[in-house]
Amino acid sequence: MIKSRGSAELEASFTMIPPQPPGSLILIDWYRSADSKEYFNRIKNKKQRRRFGLLEAPVLPPHLSVDTVRYKVFISGKSGVGKTALAARLSGLDIPNMHYETTGIESTVVFWPVKLRDNGQVLFFRLQLWDCGENALRRFDHLLPSCKEQVDAILFLFSFTDRASFEDLSNQIARSSEPSDSVVKLIVGTKFDLFMHADVTDQDVRKFQEVWGLPVFRMGADVVGAFGEVAPLLNALAESLWHQDCMMVGAARPSPATGGPGPRPGV
Amino acid sequence: MCAMLQAGSLHLLCLTASSGVPLFSRGVSRQLPFSVIGSLNGVHMFGGGQGAVLSCCETDSGGRVVWKVFQESVMLIAVNGEQGGAVDDFQLRRLLENTWNCMVLVLGQDELVNARNVERLKRDLRSCYRLIDLFLEGAGDGMGDLTHCADCLLVPQPGPLQEALDTFTQASESEFGCLLVHGKVVVATEKWWRLAPQEVVLLSALVRTFSGSSSCDHPVFLPQGSPTVPLRLLRFQLLPGADLCVLCGPAPSLQTAESQLVARFWCPLVETLRGCLALSGRCLPGSVKLHGDVLGLLLINRESRRAVSTVTPGDTPPGRPRPARCRELLRLFYVFAATRYLGPEEAGVPGERRQGDPLEEDFTLGFSHQPLQCYLVTEECKLFGLQTPQHQLYLLMPVSVPTFALRSLATRTLSALTSSTGF
Repeated sequence: MIKSRGSAELEASFTMIPPQPPGSLILIDWYRSADSKEYFNRIKNKKQRRRFGLLEAPVLPPHLSVDTVRYKVFISGKSGVGKTALAARLSGLDIPNMHYETTGIESTVVFWPVKLRDNGQVLFFRLQLWDCGENALRRFDHLLPSCKEQVDAILFLFSFTDRASFEDLSNQIARSSEPSDSVVKLIVGTKFDLFMHADVTDQDVRKFQEVWGLPVFRMGADVVGAFGEVAPLLNALAESLWHQDCMMVGAARPSPATGGPGPRPGV
Repeated sequence: MCAMLQAGSLHLLCLTASSGVPLFSRGVSRQLPFSVIGSLNGVHMFGGGQGAVLSCCETDSGGRVVWKVFQESVMLIAVNGEQGGAVDDFQLRRLLENTWNCMVLVLGQDELVNARNVERLKRDLRSCYRLIDLFLEGAGDGMGDLTHCADCLLVPQPGPLQEALDTFTQASESEFGCLLVHGKVVVATEKWWRLAPQEVVLLSALVRTFSGSSSCDHPVFLPQGSPTVPLRLLRFQLLPGADLCVLCGPAPSLQTAESQLVARFWCPLVETLRGCLALSGRCLPGSVKLHGDVLGLLLINRESRRAVSTVTPGDTPPGRPRPARCRELLRLFYVFAATRYLGPEEAGVPGERRQGDPLEEDFTLGFSHQPLQCYLVTEECKLFGLQTPQHQLYLLMPVSVPTFALRSLATRTLSALTSSTGF
């Protein structure tokens, strides 16, 4: 069982959040359609993903000019589950072929264009993924507060090949979030492709989903390059963040004139 | 002579000094058998029992082993098993020093020296692997791992960058700031330059290990400056390949520095930074013209302990070594010339050799005077080393250059470089 002491209250509060059905706010398959090409080409460089420094952003011609919304996403999970690899995968960087411990906080910026279902508006989501090695978190007290500072979403990771990492999820959730906070939370199961070594069953995952009411995503180690393998997670993340922002400003639908649901400094 | 300039493969072992418990092993894929590790430790211990310090040895087949104990707590052993390998003791000794520095940088000296639980230390040491492996692989395209001088990239107009860096560093409540392009120092604050040269090299190497990410907040210990109290290294990737670093205390948070300071100070300099990136292959401003016969060079400023190195890029005419090989040849020649004739630069008074290592005896150097120039001719290339009170220059040239012309080419290159860049 994944329950830990003191988590009952936390669980209850999570099941209260009404889950929005996927695709209710954004077009989930938009990245496949022809009219998204112009936008997706801005985050590509030939076959690979384009890398952006902090002073850079995708450049669009004036007639396509879109707003950028910025979010901070913290990746949490036991040592070795693949936090750094997930950040690399989502940002289209080379996935390190050797596992090294992350010895501090490393953040990675991902740009992801999204089309809103309601008004057809296109937005660039600038997701900054924060990843910190578990051992560093343990040894240095200032790192976790820094990761949690003004965080918008948390991805809780477990590895399908490491049962302990699955059982650690409730601790991870308790450590990084408050029952009442408005942080978006998603669960990501990594190394799904290594089914020969699977240590966590589909049933475990279903049960977890029922108890916690949090969506679970499965990530394998497919070939990098195509958007198909990262789109489901990035779209879900973008949609949840957008949903959260809409709730925050008390409006179900954002105003197209402002381009965003709430004030976001530094856009 | 040719066999001498071949690099071998390295193996690195770490054990507790008192009990000989293996802590980690890095390097070539196949692990050394436990019995070999035990023997390597045993023979060192045997020496210790006889009141002798075993420092290095050469095997019959040309392999080399170097031992060194750090802070009476950790023993590092470097093994080069390659037959006829060119690896010098000096290189292995540098590797051990760099490895120890990596361990201190990540874990701090206390944890290494006062480790009570060996199993835990073993586990914690894993977080040093990424950095140690970088040094095992030759630390990128720099030479700092060998020279212990900061690898630099010289830009035509550093003024605006220096100014932005100084004000940014100040705004980050720090005095230690540095701008790196592909791991080479472009500008740094005065205090950054006052760090021990090995620390500057080490921090540049650490930044290389972050290559893909956008920003970092890493706890670091400085092996000389702050071995027991961690500082925070904040690093921002302004453009892919251009990294901004500051060393600071508890404030500001990574988020604050990034969202409030980075864009404000650096957005106006994007084009200047792109200009630096364009120079990164050469490390010298475009205005510096090198003679067509210069395949590569390493220039060290002995006072400031900075170095700039470059190899001629692009297509290689037949019969000339390729750029990667040029780099390797320069490294090997540096070791050859620095250990035998010119003397590696150690911190402190220029010309005072090997002061840090009492195990090196004068007679191994072979000279009572200080050589100023040396050259080496191989089947592959010709090399010339030159020393002035201020500089050392190591120059790589093709075989076609007549040997009598090496010296004048080297002197002219040195004066051309120093007069046009002020390095």
